Amino acid sequence: MSIRPVTLAALLISVVAAAWLVLRWDAEPRTWSAESVAVLESLSLASLPPLPPDPTNAVADNPLAVELGRRLFFDTRFSANGRVSCATCHQPERRFTDGLPKGVGIGMSRRNTPSIVGTAYSPWLYWDGRRDSQWSQALAPLEDPAEHASNRLMTIAILVEDKEYWGIYKALFGEASGVDTMYANVGKAIAAFERTIMPTTSKFDRYVAAVVAGDEAQQAALFTEDEVRGLRLFIGEANCTQCHNGPLLTNNEFHNTGLINFAGEVPDKGRVAGVREVLEHPFNCRSRHSDDPGKGCAELDFARTGAELIGAFRTPSLRNLDTTAPYGHKGQIATLGDMLIHYNLAPEAMIGHNEAEPLNLSARELAHLEAFLLTLSAPFTMAGDAP
Amino acid sequence: MIRSALALLFLCVALPQFGFAHGGVVEEDDICVIKVNYLRAHFKIYQPRVTAHEQFCEDLPAASESVFVMEYMHDALQAMPIEFRIVRNATGKGRFARMEHVAAIEDLEAETVYFHSAVVEPDVYTIAHTFEEEGDFIGIVSATNQDTGEVYAAVFPFEVGFTGWGYWPLLIGLLVLIQVQYLAMSGRLRRWFGRAGPAVLLLGVTLLHMPHGAHAAEFVVTYSTPDGAPGINRMQSWILHVETVEGVPVEGAEIEVDGGMPAHNHGLPTKPRVTRDLGGGDYRLDGMRFHMRGYWEIVVTIRREGIEEAVVVPLTL
Repeated sequence: MSIRPVTLAALLISVVAAAWLVLRWDAEPRTWSAESVAVLESLSLASLPPLPPDPTNAVADNPLAVELGRRLFFDTRFSANGRVSCATCHQPERRFTDGLPKGVGIGMSRRNTPSIVGTAYSPWLYWDGRRDSQWSQALAPLEDPAEHASNRLMTIAILVEDKEYWGIYKALFGEASGVDTMYANVGKAIAAFERTIMPTTSKFDRYVAAVVAGDEAQQAALFTEDEVRGLRLFIGEANCTQCHNGPLLTNNEFHNTGLINFAGEVPDKGRVAGVREVLEHPFNCRSRHSDDPGKGCAELDFARTGAELIGAFRTPSLRNLDTTAPYGHKGQIATLGDMLIHYNLAPEAMIGHNEAEPLNLSARELAHLEAFLLTLSAPFTMAGDAP
Repeated sequence: MIRSALALLFLCVALPQFGFAHGGVVEEDDICVIKVNYLRAHFKIYQPRVTAHEQFCEDLPAASESVFVMEYMHDALQAMPIEFRIVRNATGKGRFARMEHVAAIEDLEAETVYFHSAVVEPDVYTIAHTFEEEGDFIGIVSATNQDTGEVYAAVFPFEVGFTGWGYWPLLIGLLVLIQVQYLAMSGRLRRWFGRAGPAVLLLGVTLLHMPHGAHAAEFVVTYSTPDGAPGINRMQSWILHVETVEGVPVEGAEIEVDGGMPAHNHGLPTKPRVTRDLGGGDYRLDGMRFHMRGYWEIVVTIRREGIEEAVVVPLTL
């Protein structure tokens, strides 16, 4: 049987037309609505407000404290075996994470090592928010048997014996005083350094600037079509900005996203226990170690408690995902692709209630999201250098 | 699916054995419930390394890491020390083993494969145990009433590895359940029965709070935000203004504020409260913060002179 030329031509035309249609439909419009532009701007680093003061830490912005804190941060003497410093887990070259599911100091810590970049903006520290300031957070690992396994007295002894440290300490805080006060001051110096660890402009931020300026050539030079598609999903259908909002791509609040337990462990209770701890903690905002107890502690005063927070963890920033794997509070998820699959399915939580809903995105769409997420990476800045 | 089927079997053959003096595990409204005397908790088991997020009610498919979760339905359990023990089912009674059979085991310690001494877990009770062999086991959950010293116990026989053949007759039931499950997953059931979403719940709560008859819609609430328009991720103070429907300012009322996002089934990130009665129907509300853009509902409960009303203030960020 032979095909008549007319039939063949008709067939060819329809194939070409169909292909053209598919390609047209697939083409990503590069323009953004005014509403979308406003959302994009809200996510850009250009919208990051100046660092709010920390009234609980009188030396928070003191350059001398920053210098002392920087040295303490990298000093391995403040540990039981003399080999663990803050930087053992918070490695600058991995943007202050360690590439491990859970941090390893003297032993294995409870959770995944979170980045420090931009955390000065967060009212809560730790995955479960069990501390309410950077300085009170910095004190916990020193005494944690799985991390530095040191203690207050040993910490102060090293500080006093080191002539340089002791000189700076005295200039900042005066003569020796009570153990807890001196220990809190160590945390305040470390926090002063940590406050200087900030994100810098990423490809995404430059893209938003180009969108705002209406510079289409620059937009096309910065973002591939897939990255644009991913961004469109990010602020739209994928619901990411429900929690990952603002210029640091986090609301610093607590959400249950139904991650699976760490092998061999019971599911982590997260915030429901963390909030109980921070409300009672002897180094919290209301404690006598806070430098401005009169100012009020709105975060503690209005902190939400209760069953809604079972299995909830603090939203992490999405800046710098390229060097901060594995992901999740226990590092349960090895790759960004796997994390997106998890959100796409949004399984029932083992404990509590998963707030996320299944997204039903295609594998291609997930790949676009991943491409976009990687545009958020950029170097960080900090005071001084790592030794 | 399997969970449902097994639970069905369990309901058919085992239910009459339980629930009176000692309690056990039963299925209610498609959730698994453990009864420890009169105290109840949602009960579920996961085998995360084998079946990820799939839930089981009792019987487990594999000898593997198993996480037992009890979510309390009765607040008293939050304060009670709870002990958890898993023993090999040496009662000879199989699935019909009850408390007295367990008590008759001569050397309970020798048969014990897992034991967690009594602890108070205020939020949710979880234990993890890795089964090393397949077989028949009995779970024993005991809770101590600290006021009376009385110990309540629940006993549930279960199987690890599905070694038995007793489920064949239930294949038909299983097929029916698959169909139901399919309908549920395809959303058809939901469409048929409507979706009792949080919005409905909120409305329900609001209605419940409303006094009957003529007192409904007593108050009108408006608000202003002196420190800028409401936005996300920053703590704000609001000024609430409460009036009667006739426009008379409501002074000296007791006011409670809560709220949330009906679409996401969660509340506010903070617990805001009225800190000052400013007079003239104005109240200072501190601790307001939102952490997501979208539709929020702020529920303002006003109490004055025996009248209580919850007014929902909608807000889109």
